[in-house]
Amino acid sequence: MNGKGMVTIQIDGRTMQVPTGTTVLKVADQAGIVIPRFCYHPAFEPEGSCRMCLVEIEDLPKLDLACSTVVREGMNVWTSTPKVLQARKNVLEFLLADHPLDCPICDKAGECFLQDYYDKHGRYASRFLEAKEKKEKKIPIGKRLLLDRERCVLCTRCVRFLRRVTGTGELGVFERSVKAEIGIDEGTEIVNNYSGNLVDICPVGAITDGDFRFKTRVWFLEKGRTVCPRCSRGCNIVVQSVRNYPLSGRQRRIYRIVPAENQDVNGYWICDFGRFGYHDIEDNRLTAIAVNRGGPAEGRPHSWEDIVKGLAAEIRALVDAGRASSLAVILTSSLTNEELAACRKLFADALGVRSIFFADPKPGKADGYLLTADRTPNGSGAAALGFSPGLPELEKLAGAPDLLIIFGPHLLEHYPAERLADSLKGIRRKYLLAAHRSGLDALADIVLPTAHPAEKKGSFTNVKGTAQSFECAVKPPRGCLPEGEILSRLAAELGVELE
Amino acid sequence: MSDVTATLIPAGENSFRLGAYVGRGGYEAARKTILTMKPREVLEEVKKANLRGRGGAGFPAGSKWAFVPQADGRPKYLCVNADEGEPGTFKDRAIMTQDPHLLLEGILLTCYAVGIHTAFIYIRAEYEAIAQRLEAAIEEARQKGFLGPDIFGSGFGLDVLVHRGAGAYICGEETALLESIEGKRGMPRLKPPFPASVGLFRSPTVINNVETIANVPLIFRYGADWFVARGLPRDGGTRIFGVSGAVRKPGLYELPVGTPLGKIIYEWAGGPAEGQSIKAVVPGGLSAPFLTPEEIDVPMDYESLARAKSMLGSAGVIVIGDRTPIIDVLRIVARFYAHESCGQCTPCRIGTTWISKIADRIGAGAGTSGDLDLIRHLAEGMKAKTLCPMGDAAAFPVLSIVEKFGQELGEAISR
Amino acid sequence: MKFSLSAESARKVEELVRRYPRKEAALLPVLHVVQREKGFISPEAEEWIAATLGIPALQVREVLSFYTLLRRKTAGKYVIQVCRNISCYLAGAEDILKYLEIKLGVRAGATTPDGRYTLLAVECLGNCDHAPCLMVNDEDYGPVSKDAVDGIFMGLS
Repeated sequence: MNGKGMVTIQIDGRTMQVPTGTTVLKVADQAGIVIPRFCYHPAFEPEGSCRMCLVEIEDLPKLDLACSTVVREGMNVWTSTPKVLQARKNVLEFLLADHPLDCPICDKAGECFLQDYYDKHGRYASRFLEAKEKKEKKIPIGKRLLLDRERCVLCTRCVRFLRRVTGTGELGVFERSVKAEIGIDEGTEIVNNYSGNLVDICPVGAITDGDFRFKTRVWFLEKGRTVCPRCSRGCNIVVQSVRNYPLSGRQRRIYRIVPAENQDVNGYWICDFGRFGYHDIEDNRLTAIAVNRGGPAEGRPHSWEDIVKGLAAEIRALVDAGRASSLAVILTSSLTNEELAACRKLFADALGVRSIFFADPKPGKADGYLLTADRTPNGSGAAALGFSPGLPELEKLAGAPDLLIIFGPHLLEHYPAERLADSLKGIRRKYLLAAHRSGLDALADIVLPTAHPAEKKGSFTNVKGTAQSFECAVKPPRGCLPEGEILSRLAAELGVELE
Repeated sequence: MSDVTATLIPAGENSFRLGAYVGRGGYEAARKTILTMKPREVLEEVKKANLRGRGGAGFPAGSKWAFVPQADGRPKYLCVNADEGEPGTFKDRAIMTQDPHLLLEGILLTCYAVGIHTAFIYIRAEYEAIAQRLEAAIEEARQKGFLGPDIFGSGFGLDVLVHRGAGAYICGEETALLESIEGKRGMPRLKPPFPASVGLFRSPTVINNVETIANVPLIFRYGADWFVARGLPRDGGTRIFGVSGAVRKPGLYELPVGTPLGKIIYEWAGGPAEGQSIKAVVPGGLSAPFLTPEEIDVPMDYESLARAKSMLGSAGVIVIGDRTPIIDVLRIVARFYAHESCGQCTPCRIGTTWISKIADRIGAGAGTSGDLDLIRHLAEGMKAKTLCPMGDAAAFPVLSIVEKFGQELGEAISR
Repeated sequence: MKFSLSAESARKVEELVRRYPRKEAALLPVLHVVQREKGFISPEAEEWIAATLGIPALQVREVLSFYTLLRRKTAGKYVIQVCRNISCYLAGAEDILKYLEIKLGVRAGATTPDGRYTLLAVECLGNCDHAPCLMVNDEDYGPVSKDAVDGIFMGLS
């Protein structure tokens, strides 16, 4: 035994030094050796029922489970001996014997453990001549989730997730022997805010999401990692979109959001509210510059160049006339740190704008786990940059500004449309920069389509104060620009250094 | 000493009553031992007696008890395994029916040795009448101060509860038994940790078979040396051999460990049934590999049977006569394990039913030439790879039938 | 319809809950008490047991579905369990089972229409030296012949 609670072992001929108490499977993961598994999931204690992770340990008579065997000093582990490879084939052979082979109609194809493992560890000819066990398929278990008992390999990850993570325990294991099956109490439905994770953790197509069902094949999807913008938790997510949309001929661009593991933020999970935020990326988007009244070259098609030049000119005019105070800006905590910093540099510092307000999505109910009451991704970021987010008072707003720049459509969440229309009537020029259509579009003079956070590069600071940088996970629709890009061009036009 | 005091199954209609038990010296050994010996000394005496478990695994009882951590602070438990589900086994039924107090005295001594104050008797639900007899015996013993808060005035207290199963062979497996007592599905647990350190309600727990515990009072009545001398040096005492199947005199025969199997079948059980010769013998409950008639000369002790590639197990001897087609035997064996699989782990859940389906198909006349090889392959796929020993229990007899009776099975397929 | 037990059964349940170190460990014994009185475990019984032991009703159902002898449907007044394992098979258990199926007019696993008998083919009952054996409720019988079976039935009220 080395000092300091470390243990030295050999795995496939490689020497590894790991803390006491580490399991063989975790050592293998660290060494980049992938041991196949169904029931093991790092979020839970080892279950030991699938028997897929059996490995050979020198001097021990039987194969042992990698997931639950704790390493001992001097242990010598072999993960690919003939005995091990045969044992894996056996497990696959058993699982596939009663498996319905729905691949052509199963959503999990392309990311299914059975498929992947058969490809890598199986490749035997099936010898099953008997009648397969018939079980119920397409059992609704709540929230668009469907359970297919024929596909289920009884890894019990779903049951354990609902017991250990959400504590709601909707699913259980019933009956015995081959008749054993996952089930739910009659009249019960899974309604908690984490149900979508069940589809992710199911290693096969036994639990599928009605929202994704039959819509696309996973091998058409490109993956982009980013941070969820629907609350201040900052869960790491992967946005899955179709390559070359719309040329690819698929019906939509964005198909799914799934969690990305981050032990400091969201662990292995995301909430359903964030997960189904993928609709936000695609639906109800503003994709073209709209000039409702006045503005540059009215009557001609508008380019970003025209717009930016026009806005810069209007701002310069005000500043030169000593009326910078009649410029007002309404920001949102959905902007990235970089965009907010640019706003401060440009509007507050360079142009001396005093009237800087915030209009954010209204807070919702925190769910006691990941979802926060604050439904903006960068409230902490805004505070850290010195902003004190506050709504504009409509009466003050009414007569004062000559030029109002609004970021985001959220004003309408706070004020009824008529009151807003009244107040905004008296303002000479109103620009709206938003990603989504809203009733605000008609009230603004010029509407500029912006990118969704998933289509931007930047950083958000979450509720814990952690700043997380992200790259562009999916390209914005043609015609949309990230706010940061617009601000950068505007600053350049005004001769303001943003660095 | 008279046979009646040294046997585990006394004769007589009223042998089970407390009065009769005390009359033949019952509870005296426990009294003397508890009042004069320290728990550790009691444990050492049991070790000296080489008392091995009589439920199937044959693990030395004293050593098992010694694994229980003493200075622990958690309550400790004893679970007596009275599930008796192994086909061909019916000895514990007789002990509990005719000598329940022997079992209770054994429980008392065991708990004293290990420092246990609560014992459960896990009895299969089908033994309801016996469960009631045990409960009555416990009440009798409590009235007399042989159980309860202050036994023999020693200060040692013990409570015994009878816990009924509900129809699951797998609950005879020790960790599934614990799960069942805890009010859950009888699904075996991963080991390690072992019950001696993490058992019932996560506390240190000893689990022993009825016959094992029932032998303990004898060790203290007559001494460890006497006990060893009754059997073999490394395997002391007698075994109650249950003989059933195609024999003239099916029944229970209490004989020294090491008695040859052939002697048990021919001399004690009267030999094969009228008009039949022996085709196959199960020596230790259905989960033991089958023996051919040429192999039954084997002494009935753990080592000898292991050398003969079988096992002593629960000492349930089943004799199969030549009138019985071996395919029927295979079907019944396979069906049993398929029915009793708990369904938790892949190889047993699927393998047992798959083998059963193949066997049924052969029995129905639709066998194919690859079937025997496939059965062998599937049984090998279960062997040594399941979460609990039931995978082996399902695989061993099937493998032995296919290996040793392959010709007759082949003929059943070709027909 | 509110679920309730007889006074005696309720007392038994209370005592069980008291004697077991953890409430939920009393589940199997409580299920037995309820089944003995009502003949089976109804959904209302599941809820009542769950509430009494402080466990989810789902867990009661999971356990119920695991064990062969616990029932969610009512059974006959007499539950006849015929062993079909090896020693009983060798002694002619299949004939006895077939005889009972004809006599009662139901297949193994079913209850007679008049609700008197449930016939079950079961695994080893631990009575192998009395093969072929069967049980009628809690009573053991064996070795049974067809005549013996007739005799047993004549004695059932």
